[in-house]
Amino acid sequence: MTEPLLTINKLDAAYGPVQVLFGVDMEVYRGEIVAIIGPNGAGKSTVIKAVVGLLKSRSGQIVFDGRDIIRLPAHAVPRLGIGYVPQGRIVFSHMTVTDNLEMGAFLIKDREQRRRSVDAVFAQFPRLHERRQQAAGSLSGGEQQMLAIGRAMMLDPQLIILDEPSLGLSPKYVEQIFEQLEELKAQGRTLLMVEQNAARALTLSDRGYVLELGRNRFHDTGRALLADKAVRELYLGGR
Amino acid sequence: MHLLEPVLLLQFLVSGLLAGALYALLACGLNLVFGVMRVINLAHAELMLAGAFLTYVLYAWAGIHPLLAFFLVLPALFGAGFYLQRLVVERVVGKGELQSLLLTYGLSIILINTGLLIFASDFKAIPELQGALIVGDIAISKPRTAAALLAIALTLGVYHFLKHARLGKAIRAVAEHPDVAMLCGIDVVRMRMFTFGLAAAMAGAAGVMLTMIYSFSPETGADFILKCFAIIIIGGMGNFIGALYGGLLLGVAEIFVAGFVSSQWAEAVAYVLLILILLIRPTGLKGAADVT
Repeated sequence: MTEPLLTINKLDAAYGPVQVLFGVDMEVYRGEIVAIIGPNGAGKSTVIKAVVGLLKSRSGQIVFDGRDIIRLPAHAVPRLGIGYVPQGRIVFSHMTVTDNLEMGAFLIKDREQRRRSVDAVFAQFPRLHERRQQAAGSLSGGEQQMLAIGRAMMLDPQLIILDEPSLGLSPKYVEQIFEQLEELKAQGRTLLMVEQNAARALTLSDRGYVLELGRNRFHDTGRALLADKAVRELYLGGR
Repeated sequence: MHLLEPVLLLQFLVSGLLAGALYALLACGLNLVFGVMRVINLAHAELMLAGAFLTYVLYAWAGIHPLLAFFLVLPALFGAGFYLQRLVVERVVGKGELQSLLLTYGLSIILINTGLLIFASDFKAIPELQGALIVGDIAISKPRTAAALLAIALTLGVYHFLKHARLGKAIRAVAEHPDVAMLCGIDVVRMRMFTFGLAAAMAGAAGVMLTMIYSFSPETGADFILKCFAIIIIGGMGNFIGALYGGLLLGVAEIFVAGFVSSQWAEAVAYVLLILILLIRPTGLKGAADVT
């Protein structure tokens, strides 16, 4: 089997004095969609924050594309080919939609090249193109999430990491966001996501990891986890 | 002459705008730092005086004209601000108001006393640019006009930079969501160094202008910093262009009060405006939401 794109090996992480993750292991292969699910406080988002460098207090190994990145500061991570969609559809609300996307391509110094990157994202999200001159803060929740995803795609990353993409969105927009994730899957992109809507996430995903209290609990294909009795009772509302 | 003569009102307005431009330049830098990193820099007016004394030294020792000194003082203060941020101020970013107030208060004390040690507390002035232009029926002071035009040009230039340049937008991104900015590949620490350097350069430029229109001592900063606080609250906390409006408004209001009432009352104008704004529109003229 080929090497994984991302390997998380015995990851410990803490918020100040409080340890949140205890030896978490995970792998993401190219072209795969991987979901991290689990109850509140399991440390799902913490895994993501540790991988992208927003959480400094961490130890273990995080190997991306053959390189251990655990010591890298967060601002060095995008250059490696990791796109990040933060929790809570965070956009730069006073800037236009176009400027938000340009920030996603901050590392591209050449203006023409940046514009091409913006156009590519507009082609994928025509709705954003319609709103390109609007302040991002004036968009609907679903559009803001679309913009956050578009911003993460500006550097054409090898891996897109999403933290709770459907959190706080109305059902109509949840539907839209999952359609977009389907679309990304169809394009063969590699996704790692944390999602509280576990059933939807596992249906979309190739594989899933269940975390509990900061430790690996279950790990299987999305379909197998959906069918698993214990997982269903514990995390999927017993359906 | 009657006080309500249109000519006189115009004279007041022009004089007020000229005086306000210096306030605006100084307050914009203060507000930029606050907007980007939520640090209130109590040493901001001392950075202006650093610029003023540097100009004075260049003039007294090397005979360099203040308008030329501008081109030396600006980069010097930018560099000083850049490294001040890296070595000292960065440590208190995100640590709450008290820490940043204590730190910058300490900085201002160090700067004032260094100034007193070197220059004593005598007032200095550079009598280089003098005289007035007569336009129609009003007189416009030459040094004040030069200073005001430079101040406005610089303020609008920085505004344009923040609004449209790639780096300027990155600074605004850091101000709003530092974590997300980081994961756009923006080195937020470096952006804050750049921001503080920019604010210090603006303060330094205000210092160059100060030498052209006022006499000054190492202790002159206190009058200015208090007015600057009033200005940024009047204009909108953290809003760059709001400080421009607030500064011009204060300059004009002071001159009118000095003309119609007395120059002693003019000193109180900043605080009366401050109270009025807090009563009528607590977010300031421009609101406090964005850096620009």
